[in-house]
Amino acid sequence: MTHGTANNHSVLIVEDNQTLRRLLEYRIGKHYNVRTAEHGEAALDRVEESTPDLIISDIMMPRMDGFALLAALRRDERTAAIPFIFLTAKSDDPSRVKGLNNGVDDYITKPFDIDYVLARVEQIIARSQVYQTKLNARIGRDFSDRLMPKTMPEVEGYRARFYSQPREDGGGDLFDWARATDGSYVFTVGDIMGKGLQAKFYAFSFLSYIRSTIHAMLGSTTSPAALMSYVNKMLIHDKVLEETFASLLLMRWEPDKHRITYANAGHCRPILIGPSGAGIVEYSDLILGLDSSTEYTDKAFTIPPGHAMMCYTDGLNEQVALNGQQFGESGVALCATEALTEERPVTTMLETMLNRSAEHVFADDVLVFWLQRNG
Amino acid sequence: MSFSIQKTSPSTIVVHIGKALDFRNAADFKASCQEHTRAGVRHFVLDFTGTGILDSTGLGVIFSLYRQLTPIGGQVVFASVSRPVQVVVQLTRTYKVFRQFPTVESAFENLERTSAERPTGTES
Repeated sequence: MTHGTANNHSVLIVEDNQTLRRLLEYRIGKHYNVRTAEHGEAALDRVEESTPDLIISDIMMPRMDGFALLAALRRDERTAAIPFIFLTAKSDDPSRVKGLNNGVDDYITKPFDIDYVLARVEQIIARSQVYQTKLNARIGRDFSDRLMPKTMPEVEGYRARFYSQPREDGGGDLFDWARATDGSYVFTVGDIMGKGLQAKFYAFSFLSYIRSTIHAMLGSTTSPAALMSYVNKMLIHDKVLEETFASLLLMRWEPDKHRITYANAGHCRPILIGPSGAGIVEYSDLILGLDSSTEYTDKAFTIPPGHAMMCYTDGLNEQVALNGQQFGESGVALCATEALTEERPVTTMLETMLNRSAEHVFADDVLVFWLQRNG
Repeated sequence: MSFSIQKTSPSTIVVHIGKALDFRNAADFKASCQEHTRAGVRHFVLDFTGTGILDSTGLGVIFSLYRQLTPIGGQVVFASVSRPVQVVVQLTRTYKVFRQFPTVESAFENLERTSAERPTGTES
């Protein structure tokens, strides 16, 4: 019978009989991180030190019995959800019913088969992990939805498209845009380093900060580099966002001049796509959050007629192609060029990429911003 | 966990990153580095020989290490940087922060020499 190899889950064993406690510690300890307590009071101390993934407890014990321990845990919202198994000699039905009424996850009577105990521990921990994963996914999706805009700028002679497909276990991609009073637009494309819910939460906090910074500063500066320096210093000095690193692309678009002025903090470089091929918008500076003395530089380029500028996050260039290698900048640029004249260029480009991918699904978050000038 | 740690002097260690530093082992890497930092290690040589994957979580923990060591006179340098790692370093422009050496030996010699000139823990 297999119970999986050693993993990081922790089990607390509460048992006053020393021999039995040692036996359980030895057998269960082969598969889980095990701690022990000799009665309910000691168990509450162990739980206070760190929350176990599951508790196996005897009922009849000195100082504090199993029922009192279970009740104390269920009263405290920090410990109310810890899976709990009773392991007891009291095989009579009233005890069983009392246990089950108190929200115990299982009730195993002595003498017991250790393999059965291990199987139940594994099942119950797995089930509680499923709930946690589902909850994380729901919160993650909610964050992702809020991180993305619902509308795009509508400007004569241009089409602005945005596509985002967050993954539940993806990272902290972000995108935003704002219109300045002089008729120009500011676009923000970024990626908070890290994975999962934590990255999404930081992306959410970070984007709120960038949004308010841009709105506050647009009156006094239109320089993306000035905004970037300000945001970098904030990331380094702010206690909450400490140890947050982000790649960020800040762009100011003047539609009447067809000009983009940008500062790039280590983000995937934009691609400028034309009928005769694609070019990389090369200049970029250091990623945000590393060094407060980093200087950011504004660079500018124009979008010629019939050309499109595309910005994206690393889910695209790190996607693995059929040959087992990542697409990379050049692979992404090639797919984008082929999609330039399509009715729905972003969708077409992503379909092209998937057709050339090792797996027919994107492994990470996908985010694409496409700004095309009519020919 | 693909990385392994080799202590080369009281103040310097070499971390052989191995196949991958990513969201799967980044937390272990961080914990190991912190343990050594607490024990007085100030200089880290990260050996990227044969490293195929360095994702943003992995890069993030290297950045944390850098942020932690810089104020106390420590350094993080890269050695034998593989092609996939070089791509990430280029994209994020972090070659401006992490010095690169062709071999672990050259990185180690350089660190020992510069830290002898400028003792750790004192301001330059």
